[in-house]
Amino acid sequence: MIENDHKSQGAAFGMRGIVKRVLPHIILCAFSLMILMPLLWILRVSFTDRLTAYKIPPEIGTVGLMNYVEIFQRYPFASWFLNSLIVALGATAIALPLATALAYAFARFNTGGTFLRLGVLASQMLPPIILVLPLFGMFLMAGLMHSRTGLVIAHLTISLPFLSWMLVSFFEGDVARLEEAARVDGATRWQAFRHIAVPVAAPGILAAGLLGFILSWNEFLFALVLSGPSSQTLPVGLAALETHAGVEIAPLAAATVVSLVPVFALLPFLRKHLIKGLSLGALK
Amino acid sequence: MASISLSNIHKLYPNGYAAVRDVSLDIRDGEFMILLGPSGCGKSTTLRMIAGLETISAGDLHIGGARVNDVDPADRDVAIVFQNYALYPHMTVADNLSFGLRLRNVERRIIEGRVATIAGMLGIGDLLARKPAQLSGGQRQRVALGRALVREPKAFLLDEPLSNLDAKLRASMRTELIKLHRTLGTTIVHVTHDQVEAMTMGERICIMKDGVIVQVGAPMEVYRNPVNTFVAGFLASPPMNLLHGMLDSDRISIGDVVLPLPQSLRRAFASHAGRKVIVGLRPEDFHLKADAAPVAAPIEVVSVTTEVLGPEVILVGTLKNSSAELHIRCPRDFRSEPGAMTVFNYDLSQLQLFDIETTTALMRPVKI
Ligand SMILES: Nc1ncnc2c1ncn2[C@@H]1O[C@H](COP(=O)(O)OP(=O)(O)OP(=O)(O)O)[C@@H](O)[C@H]1O
Ligand SMILES: [Mg+2]
Repeated sequence: MIENDHKSQGAAFGMRGIVKRVLPHIILCAFSLMILMPLLWILRVSFTDRLTAYKIPPEIGTVGLMNYVEIFQRYPFASWFLNSLIVALGATAIALPLATALAYAFARFNTGGTFLRLGVLASQMLPPIILVLPLFGMFLMAGLMHSRTGLVIAHLTISLPFLSWMLVSFFEGDVARLEEAARVDGATRWQAFRHIAVPVAAPGILAAGLLGFILSWNEFLFALVLSGPSSQTLPVGLAALETHAGVEIAPLAAATVVSLVPVFALLPFLRKHLIKGLSLGALK
Repeated sequence: MASISLSNIHKLYPNGYAAVRDVSLDIRDGEFMILLGPSGCGKSTTLRMIAGLETISAGDLHIGGARVNDVDPADRDVAIVFQNYALYPHMTVADNLSFGLRLRNVERRIIEGRVATIAGMLGIGDLLARKPAQLSGGQRQRVALGRALVREPKAFLLDEPLSNLDAKLRASMRTELIKLHRTLGTTIVHVTHDQVEAMTMGERICIMKDGVIVQVGAPMEVYRNPVNTFVAGFLASPPMNLLHGMLDSDRISIGDVVLPLPQSLRRAFASHAGRKVIVGLRPEDFHLKADAAPVAAPIEVVSVTTEVLGPEVILVGTLKNSSAELHIRCPRDFRSEPGAMTVFNYDLSQLQLFDIETTTALMRPVKI
């Protein structure tokens, strides 16, 4: 043991030690670049004009905010943004309480048994395109086509199963013991749920809400098929930029950057609460 | 305050496991009752059925005279302290303590008063603003106890509340719980698998095994007259030595060792003469002095090892020409080399015999 320690200590100063310490960083940097490059590229393009956008090696031409101005003036970017916001907020606001209740029922009462649990999961595994056509038919009949309400409902088919599946684990384990203590303390089932289970699972519920929002914000297929001119969301709008007259690469980059803002704004919260939520089991 | 009565209670878990079978137990109003038994014998299950956290598969449960089988746990007005305390992690100590009272819409002023009283009583007054994560194990244990006390329930159900504490803290909490019971006089059902807790704390002990009650009685009664070898081998540490022997009309032979039966026991055991039996010899009934007991028989013990505990020495030894080990409680200055032989005087009046097949006690020679 002691000998080994000496060896590794000696190695830390030798050639092998340096390689050992540097190599992981090189690999990690390479991976980070792979992920970051497209984002950085988009950021650069969003501030340049159409002509310099494609230049390789990259060239800094006229730098300015013209693309950002353009997307608001020549395209209904504000409307896309607003639609996305309304749909994503709406779908999350409806999905979150329902998913919480569903997850609680799964965790506490094993409602529907394994069959229902797997059923909910299975609906997540279907390619979304399978759901789009029946939804299209039903929305036509119900007069929900091209409406934001319709889109909210469509997004629920994604977020409800996903969020409830994710939340089940937050209601299992220690929380059940705490609820038992509360029940003996005089709480009704509802009070135990409301005052113990929900606050204790709050980090998880919050994380689920944030994920649900992002899911809906980025959703493309349902929005493409089911939305109309006045209810188009960002992903659909961005796609339209690509197909107009060639690819409007510079405004597209600007639009992409703006549409990423809310997601990036949410990420720190998501990270914090997800980690807090997942380590909840460690609490005694 | 209330009595708790279990009549023919069964618990069948959904997976078909019968955790508790035909348990009948009357716990008097204000009694300190101990549920004692090895791990998995159904102690927690029984306690959880009393609290209403498990459904009762069959039988009747009465609290304070009223049948409560189908009463919601919230309405049973009992308090439970769990082994892992189950404090609400998102609430301060004060909120943990007052949760039950707030649910009952008790007036703010009264709540604050009671929380302060209980916190003072348990010495957790300085911790009221903290969250459970910021407490030590002993402090959490006190908060859990306080949460039960503050509501002034009809009965306290304690599920191994001391088992997570270190030995010293456990000993002092043991004393405190006894004092608490004396002041409050509330019914307590205390689950434990620690026989010291059982002997020292309870007014009565209920010993369970494999989901059934084996014996119920006052600590000394259970200690003196164990109904079978399980109880004899479970109580006290070291427990009673159980050796195979042969019963004749006037003596018992354990291998080469022959113990003469005193006159009083001869008559009692007469009907079993000529049968193989299990002989129960308590470690504390062996004496070095010849005159320590009025009716004694010499027993030669070959030393295997000695455990020097400080206040006393436990001799682990074997009988002559036998491999069966036995433990003997000796005075603190006793020493013996391995292989050395010591002659002890065994107090024959304490002799216990058990049926070799059923393991039940042949008779109970001593009444207290
Ligand atoms: N939910 C359950 N489903 C099936 N079996 C269970 C369940 N809970 C407990 N059991 C079983 O019932 C038996 C009694 O359990 P219980 O928790 O009452 O034991 P215990 O006496 O409290 O033991 P310990 O001293 O280890 O706490 C055990 O064999 C256990 O495995
Ligand atoms: Mg238990």
